[in-house]
Amino acid sequence: MKPKLALKDVSFSVEPGQVYGFIGPNGAGKSTTIKVLTGLLNFDSGKVLVNGISPRDVKSRRYIGYSPEQPYFYDYLTGRELLRFYGKLVGLDGAELDKRITWALELLHANKDWIDRRLRSYSKGMMQRVGIAQAILGKPKLLILDEPMSGLDPMGRRDVREAIQQLNRDGVTIFYSSHLLSDVESISHKVAMIVDGKIVREGTVDEITESCGVEYHVRTRKAILGEDLPQGVSLTGHPEEFVCEDDAARDRLLGYCLANGIAVEKMDHKRPSLEDILTEEIARADA
Amino acid sequence: MQTLKYIAIIAHNTFRESIRDKILYNIVFLAIALTLFSIVLGEWSVFDRAYVIKSTTLSVMSLSGLLISIFVGISLVQKEIQRRTVLTLLSKPISRVTFIVGKYFGLLAVVAVHLTLLTVIYYLMLFVMNAEPTASLLLAIYLIFCEMAVVIAVALLFSSFSSTILSALFTLGVYFAGHLSNELLEQVRFASRMGEMGDASTALFEKAAVVIHAIFPGLYRYNVTSYVVHGLALPDMYLFWNTVYALGYVGVFLAIASWWFSRRDFL
Repeated sequence: MKPKLALKDVSFSVEPGQVYGFIGPNGAGKSTTIKVLTGLLNFDSGKVLVNGISPRDVKSRRYIGYSPEQPYFYDYLTGRELLRFYGKLVGLDGAELDKRITWALELLHANKDWIDRRLRSYSKGMMQRVGIAQAILGKPKLLILDEPMSGLDPMGRRDVREAIQQLNRDGVTIFYSSHLLSDVESISHKVAMIVDGKIVREGTVDEITESCGVEYHVRTRKAILGEDLPQGVSLTGHPEEFVCEDDAARDRLLGYCLANGIAVEKMDHKRPSLEDILTEEIARADA
Repeated sequence: MQTLKYIAIIAHNTFRESIRDKILYNIVFLAIALTLFSIVLGEWSVFDRAYVIKSTTLSVMSLSGLLISIFVGISLVQKEIQRRTVLTLLSKPISRVTFIVGKYFGLLAVVAVHLTLLTVIYYLMLFVMNAEPTASLLLAIYLIFCEMAVVIAVALLFSSFSSTILSALFTLGVYFAGHLSNELLEQVRFASRMGEMGDASTALFEKAAVVIHAIFPGLYRYNVTSYVVHGLALPDMYLFWNTVYALGYVGVFLAIASWWFSRRDFL
């Protein structure tokens, strides 16, 4: 079987203090990229630096915290034992370690009752919280989270979102992947979109959405026949409602209405969401 | 210094994982049962009762150590990979060498505790049966521990790149080859001296036996049952040189396991 190139020409840079969202469909290369950053996967070519150090060097992991997608831990340990184990591996011990565990659990609004139960009895949401807690114990400079909100209920998602924002306010740089694009839109300073192993868009949410133009939804008081519609204007399924694909199409439609005495009842402009753009990029890659 | 601390942390966790594993308890209880059964064997046997109890129990120690290495040891690394706990662990500032060495010492500690438990039972049994509980038996137990140190390193080596079943088979193969390699070499040389084989086949068999003898760790060195049971003295420096021999093999096996494990990708 011919080996598949998992990542091609992937290039991005996360600045200190940013919350950087990494989005893409399943199998696009999000987790692969994250595993390269954390030294779990070797790369054949290119240059990767984490805090200025290659991930091949153990030192690069001194200042990072990582929580994998659907984290799974030693089920023979309790949540607290697990956090103590990982805490020791980042150089913590004694009272300081206990203090950090309490801090991490509070930050994630983790219920302290279940932290002393064996991990085998944990739900996905509890496991996700423990996963993030172990990643932040060492107060990393860079926090890498792979799908941190998967498996969480709406309250859990909100807790994790708030925890990410709080950590960022405390100076932690956050790089995370997610399928939940509404969350990405609300908390990310910058976003990269990866499709089929290539980064197809990168920038702030505004930069990405604005680069795709604005769509206008127009409702008139009188129907316009399909064959009379100006270029770039389409019907929505209702004879008095239209979508203009850009500013020029909007101007043409308004000009047509003015010339034909058709009153415009309502006009909204709508920027495409990250979801719209991602869907479009996936379709383009498939084509 | 920091590396040693991390090795100790991983070893401690490995020890904790192993002692919470039901398989370990099955093996320990089986070993205790067989040790106690040696009393019955001693009664039934035509040989001296003390001899049967002592030699059977030493064999039980060696075999139960082997079972722990295979059933607990091999799954330690494989489980980390299959259950993906390795992802979180290796994202910490620890090298893969530290991971392998920590796992090794954790399992070695499990075997040490197991052998200590059996030794206590062994001596109690010999004392109660009035079957000469001499201190020299401790030498044989120490050598079994050295043997297990090598076997655990073999198990970790195979589990760093192979599946659980294959690792178990390979480890068993090395164990038996290590015990039989000396005998094989002696038999081939004896047959050669007696002229029982043709010239071509003699040379071929002898070469094969020499290669097997040279490559596989000579685990037969760690079976001194007949010496200690009959109260014979071991050659001078025997313990020292065989400890060095075991350390050499452990070092080589762990180095290869670490090198191989360091090259692995974790998807």
